[in-house]
Amino acid sequence: MPVQTNAVPNASISRLLTGYQALEGTPDELMGLDGQIRPVWAGLLSALDAMSPSELSLRITRGEQYLRDAGVFYRRYGPQGSSDRDWPLSAMPVLIDEDEWALINTGLSERAELLEQVVADLYGDNTLVANGFIPPSLIADNPEWLRPLVGIKPRSDHYLHFVAFDIGRGPHGQWWVLGDRTQAPSGAGFALENRIATSRIYSDIFARSNVNRLAGFFRNFRDTLLDLRAEDDSRVGILTPGPMNDTYYEHAYIARYLGLMLLEGEDLTVRDGRLMVRTVAGLRPISVLWRRLDAAWADPLELDENSRLGTPGLLGAVRDGTITMVNALGSGILETKAFLAFLPRISEALMGKPLAIPNVATWWCGQEAERNYVKANASRMTIGNAFATRLLLDHDDMSAPKNSSEFGADSHLEGFIDRGAAHLVAQEVVTLSTTPAFKNDVLSPHPMSLRVFLARTAKGWQVMPGGFARIGPAGNSSSLAMQSGGAAADVWIVSKKAVRTESMLEHPSAPFVRQQQAVLPSRAADNLFWMGRYVERAENTIRMLRAFHLRFVETGSAETLLLKQVSKHLTTIGADPSKGLPLGVVQTLSSATAAASHVRDRFSLDGWLALDDLSKTVGKMVKTATPGDDMARAMSVLLRKLSGFSGLVHENMYRSMGWRFLSIGRSLERASSLVSLLTAFTKDDAVDGSLDLAVEVADSTMTHRQRYAVATNRSTIIDLLALDPLNPRSVIYQINQISEHMAFLPGVDANSQLSPLQSIILKTRTNLTVMLPEAVETETLSTLGTEIAQLSNLLTANYLR
Amino acid sequence: MLYDITLNIAYDYEHPAGASRHIIRLAPADLPGEQRQVVGAIDVVPKPAESRLQKDFFGNNNVELAFFDAHKKINFSVHSRVERFHVEPKLYVAPTLLQLIDDISAHKSLGAWAPHHFLGSSSRVPLDNATTQYALNHVKSNFSILEIVMAIGEGLHRDFKYDPKATTVETPMLEAFHGRRGVCQDFSHIMIACLRGLGIPAGYVSGFLRTKPPPGKKRLEGADAMHAWVRIWCGSQLGWMEYDPTNSTLAGTDHVIIARGRDYADVAPIKGVLRSHGKHTSTQKVDVISIEH
Repeated sequence: MPVQTNAVPNASISRLLTGYQALEGTPDELMGLDGQIRPVWAGLLSALDAMSPSELSLRITRGEQYLRDAGVFYRRYGPQGSSDRDWPLSAMPVLIDEDEWALINTGLSERAELLEQVVADLYGDNTLVANGFIPPSLIADNPEWLRPLVGIKPRSDHYLHFVAFDIGRGPHGQWWVLGDRTQAPSGAGFALENRIATSRIYSDIFARSNVNRLAGFFRNFRDTLLDLRAEDDSRVGILTPGPMNDTYYEHAYIARYLGLMLLEGEDLTVRDGRLMVRTVAGLRPISVLWRRLDAAWADPLELDENSRLGTPGLLGAVRDGTITMVNALGSGILETKAFLAFLPRISEALMGKPLAIPNVATWWCGQEAERNYVKANASRMTIGNAFATRLLLDHDDMSAPKNSSEFGADSHLEGFIDRGAAHLVAQEVVTLSTTPAFKNDVLSPHPMSLRVFLARTAKGWQVMPGGFARIGPAGNSSSLAMQSGGAAADVWIVSKKAVRTESMLEHPSAPFVRQQQAVLPSRAADNLFWMGRYVERAENTIRMLRAFHLRFVETGSAETLLLKQVSKHLTTIGADPSKGLPLGVVQTLSSATAAASHVRDRFSLDGWLALDDLSKTVGKMVKTATPGDDMARAMSVLLRKLSGFSGLVHENMYRSMGWRFLSIGRSLERASSLVSLLTAFTKDDAVDGSLDLAVEVADSTMTHRQRYAVATNRSTIIDLLALDPLNPRSVIYQINQISEHMAFLPGVDANSQLSPLQSIILKTRTNLTVMLPEAVETETLSTLGTEIAQLSNLLTANYLR
Repeated sequence: MLYDITLNIAYDYEHPAGASRHIIRLAPADLPGEQRQVVGAIDVVPKPAESRLQKDFFGNNNVELAFFDAHKKINFSVHSRVERFHVEPKLYVAPTLLQLIDDISAHKSLGAWAPHHFLGSSSRVPLDNATTQYALNHVKSNFSILEIVMAIGEGLHRDFKYDPKATTVETPMLEAFHGRRGVCQDFSHIMIACLRGLGIPAGYVSGFLRTKPPPGKKRLEGADAMHAWVRIWCGSQLGWMEYDPTNSTLAGTDHVIIARGRDYADVAPIKGVLRSHGKHTSTQKVDVISIEH
């Protein structure tokens, strides 16, 4: 169906637009000032109108299902700590005509170039201050002006490579810039996810609606990043603050999408002025970092010394010109709200013309005339911190003086403004345009702002043809922030002609991406290793708990000799069974989830969801499960879920270096828990039933029955659980597994002398292979336990530090 | 005045530190017209794997050191011969606060010693009503900048007790202020807060103090460790002067300068991040011996 170019009267789209009324004095994206539907919406609206309500709701469900399956979430902070929330997608995209977009494109590209010149001046000659365009105190008192970076020229010759602007449409239909995002703008990945989910909803409609595609923008930017490298063997990474950050999901997503390494500060170290990644194969150079970490945290040695997220010495590498930061450290100063007051004049001075797209009117209270103007007009302004870098509508602002108690002791706005003068900025309250969103099956107008993304490429600034729309609750333009309950929507830039379909894959540089992923940072390996260990540890504890509670049900008492023994053993591993599900299990699983959360870019989504499900189930059980039958059943449920998770990981996970560390972790933990099981339950004076319990906990009851014609005795147990190379639940089987994985680890050369790690594993293997069950004493087991611990320590020292 | 200066600092860690990177500012500065380093050397044990020298924003020497191997101890020792010149103070034309404010707004530069850097809160010196009010209680509206500095300095000397046990290097300025005791670092930070509260640009100086006083003079407080005092901008004509609030005296030839900045955080003698856990102890020994007069 071709897109219609004529205005469509509202009556013909009666159902969805029932009661749709643009607000007085507020422009609407859908409806022109003349009350007519803008042509760009006509195609989508007719298609929607042709749909039955049930079809529409089915389609929306499809989009939401995608977001859930893809695990899209954001972290929301609240009084009770932070939590992951479902992604609040508004199913109705925002449609903008390509011709109008071209104007935005030009205006914002010019603005990006202006900001580049401003930041270069602030870290260079400071002519803007010398010539009176920016007051010196606004820079000197600015926490984002990083003195250690003054005078350092970026290696790429540019400070800004990837920026975003928040824009909104004002009362007369013109676009305004609401804020500049130059530090580490987020949202581009979420924009992609919004696009994928929205195109699931409107699959057929989307395909014929001439919507500009997003992939080309990302592909060009990835190529730009690769071109910024110093040499072909160095790498490009995304530097993230880690899983506690509100947009960590996006960092992992972009890293996967672009095939770049996802790194935390701890992954990096500096050697002789070069930035290196700690990998399992030693230090590897990196020369481009797309930074999603605020600059102040990047280097605790020269910037904020309280940072635990950064890399000591990073600034040395910046100073030596061996690393390109996207964007340069210190660029965040451009986000300072007070700058909006000075940019119009700076544009005239530096570019010789006014801003193509004006920013929202702003007054810095540090100047007397401006201060007096603000005092006289405060009722239509928002007054806030001049150095704030948040968006106008985020919540760190004080609003106009509705409640004078906010303003301190003398409770006068004027006194408040005078006292804080140089640190205050006032902005005109703007009413933003509205755009349709679904509410109770019909469309109603909701306030909207757009985040638009720009990347510097070899051909200059490129604007992503689309963006991230924030949608507020109907009738309220002051709560667009998702933190305060707003929603997000896709943005369609609609062409009058057919558009090229694009994807990331059609590019000749694709094989290169594979090479980029081939190094495994030590921290990622460490997290995978511990995830393997924790999951196995949880499984072992749960099996032991099940064995306990099954026997408790039979005997009706926990005071039998055997159960006392089991209880003692469980207590030593942090899982006292007397009161239902012990917290130790919850902690072990949450440690596993925490480890997994650091490697979301390397870990399958299904595996993540299975682990998350497991944690949630345990979280519920810990409140409800009661000793006895209930616990025994609950443990069986958990064991089934655990084997589901293990199946996903071990059947489906790519046999990467990371998978090997995860597997080694699992094997080590299993070997170690088997040794402690045997130590506790095969002593010569072990109480009745100990041996059967050991076989049961090791999940080898069936095997034992088939392999031995005799009843369980100490020798058969030792043979089956320690020495039988065919039983996956034996120590030797696990040691053999570790040995096989070791052969693939970096630095292992069959012809060179054995490393301490190789010799200990060879020794342990050999001892177990030639050992006879009768010869295994308590002391033998204790030596074996020590060897396994040494193995873990050596492995950690060699690969995981 | 010619001095031989020795400084020893030793760190002992409970558990070996895996790897660490530090910035040290321990050696006397070379400052044309004020101070000249004749000879000087810094020894570090164990030997650092990397070592480089660079100037920071304020022109101080920063030595960056990195250790890659585990170590349980680090020793820093500095030996230096320094000549400290006598600079005649030209304070007879000190401006008033109002003149100073005009000078500041006329100063359109962000160079290292532009007054603008030394007016707002800095990481160790938050501006606070309590310190500003304290400063206001000690000055009269017709005071010159010099009189303000003296009045606040003498006030601090009277109201605060020099007490090395009361605070540590981490104690926040306001805690020392309300406790009314501390050491040179606390005295200096408090005085900086007082002056900035009035709109007077003030910074922090780290350095050494002559160990034995000249014959007939009292031994100064703080001479057995590294010292700190305050730097004040007195308008575009006079520029900077330095005052030692711990001893309520102008800083002169008894004071040997290492580094200058906004507060302790800019000039901390040893900064660095350790990949270690557990406690560490440190000892410090300073000798500043006059070798003439």
